[in-house]
Amino acid sequence: MENNPESDGRRAFLKSAIVGAAGVALPIGIARAKTFSRDSLQVWSCGGLAEAFIPANTRYEQKNGIKISYTGAFAAALGKSLLGSATTEVFGGRVLDLAKKLKSSGKMVYFKPLCFTSYVMVTPIANPAGIEELGDMARPGVRVVLAPDASPPGGQAALNLLKKAGILDSATKNCVSSGSCVQRIMADIISDKGDVSIVELRLTRLPAFAGKTHIVPIPEQFFPPPPLTFTIGVMKDAADRTLADDYLQFITSEEGQAFFDAAGFIPAISDKGKELIEKLGVKDA
Amino acid sequence: MLDGQSCTLQPDVPTERKWSIRLSIRRRLVQFIMLGLLGQWSFYGIFRCPFLVPYISCRNCPVITCHGRIVSMFWGFWLLLPVSALLFGRAFCGWGCPGGLISQLFGKLAPVKLRARNFITRWAPSGKYLGLAAALYIYYILGQPRADVPIRIGEFFQSVLLTFEHASPSWLIRTIFVLGCLAGGLVVANVWCRFACPGGGLLEPARRHSLFKFYKTSICNNCNQCLDICEMGTRPNEVNCTNCGDCQGVCPSGAIVFGRKK
Repeated sequence: MENNPESDGRRAFLKSAIVGAAGVALPIGIARAKTFSRDSLQVWSCGGLAEAFIPANTRYEQKNGIKISYTGAFAAALGKSLLGSATTEVFGGRVLDLAKKLKSSGKMVYFKPLCFTSYVMVTPIANPAGIEELGDMARPGVRVVLAPDASPPGGQAALNLLKKAGILDSATKNCVSSGSCVQRIMADIISDKGDVSIVELRLTRLPAFAGKTHIVPIPEQFFPPPPLTFTIGVMKDAADRTLADDYLQFITSEEGQAFFDAAGFIPAISDKGKELIEKLGVKDA
Repeated sequence: MLDGQSCTLQPDVPTERKWSIRLSIRRRLVQFIMLGLLGQWSFYGIFRCPFLVPYISCRNCPVITCHGRIVSMFWGFWLLLPVSALLFGRAFCGWGCPGGLISQLFGKLAPVKLRARNFITRWAPSGKYLGLAAALYIYYILGQPRADVPIRIGEFFQSVLLTFEHASPSWLIRTIFVLGCLAGGLVVANVWCRFACPGGGLLEPARRHSLFKFYKTSICNNCNQCLDICEMGTRPNEVNCTNCGDCQGVCPSGAIVFGRKK
């Protein structure tokens, strides 16, 4: 039988086309999962990041066929548990000091900057008190809503912000609702029980509150620094270090960071994020 | 004459008993369906709700996996409960409450049924009102404080462990009290539902004024066979009656009926 170079070429082309198509048809995740020794990863994070982590984890699971067991709760509480006997493989926490403490105690291997939060004033949609700047919270008759007893940094951050702006006493005098939950602040503002409050921008993006308040920016100089920073780190208990590294790589990539942007955070890889990394010294020294 | 009278009632009794057994089976079925519908929310209320009074602050709760928050059952429940109370009194306790089901199943195993009429069974049901008063005080006077770290999302057991680990003493006291009462149901039948549940305390007044109910007619001879079978240790249309209907078939004189009591 004579070899026909043309038909060989066609056969080779068909072969590679079939193999290629099969490769595409195979679930990408299954193909990728084989590069890791584990098929699941335990991730804990600050609860405030949950709205970003949930879709980001889903995306990572779709891409890699890895099951992400995710827990989101008050970072200081999770940090306390982790500094005790609790374990996880990846931890995304708030406050730089917590990451440093976890690392110095040997519980965390390394961390990276994840994102930053920012604060805004919220008013009812119609902004009945005509709030335009921070000083308006000190105006007599303006109904201020605060939550000083909310789990830190929560409402305490708002008080520090008011203190920094030099209007803590007068704004506190205007307080008509002093609660223990930052989410209830939003409900109070939406239902017109107050004229203004200070919350993290992320709260205004939650599905329950999105588009239901008027947002007034606050100059960055008044932000209290500690609660601004979120980091993400690989813990010493990561069963598959390659997998944990890969996950971190994804979360800090452009694709992963987009979820944090959408949830109202400043992504660490954005220009603003890079500026804050330098300003706040978010470095794993 | 008396014999003749009892003879005329007798043929109806087995029919009533069959109907009552069928009703009991249907009630258990409904309870299990309601467990499927409300079970997750009910579980979260006890084990993961960061508020001291669960089930009422769901719309502001940060626990994003709780059914009280993510599905519309919160509104459905709080709108339908008054309707059910108006129509059938405490029927929710006997037909719909997942905690009630657990309590009743535990009660089957309990050696102490506490059905005798005495000082305890007369006054202990007032405990429900104390529970209700405490709940109202916490909600309205203390402003429903958040007494635990909300585990917004997480694995089932780990989240429960973390919730307990970071709970304030007040949260632990209320949770241990509720769980203690539920567990106490293994010794004394239905301790929680009969003597402590604030929800029962809320619905109890409706029992008296509901449109439809099981009640005793004038031919009741106080034989108390209804009391002997009742999971709540009561008689029709008396304190703690949940309109479950278990009693109707056991009445030898057919004195228990369901409908509007005039």
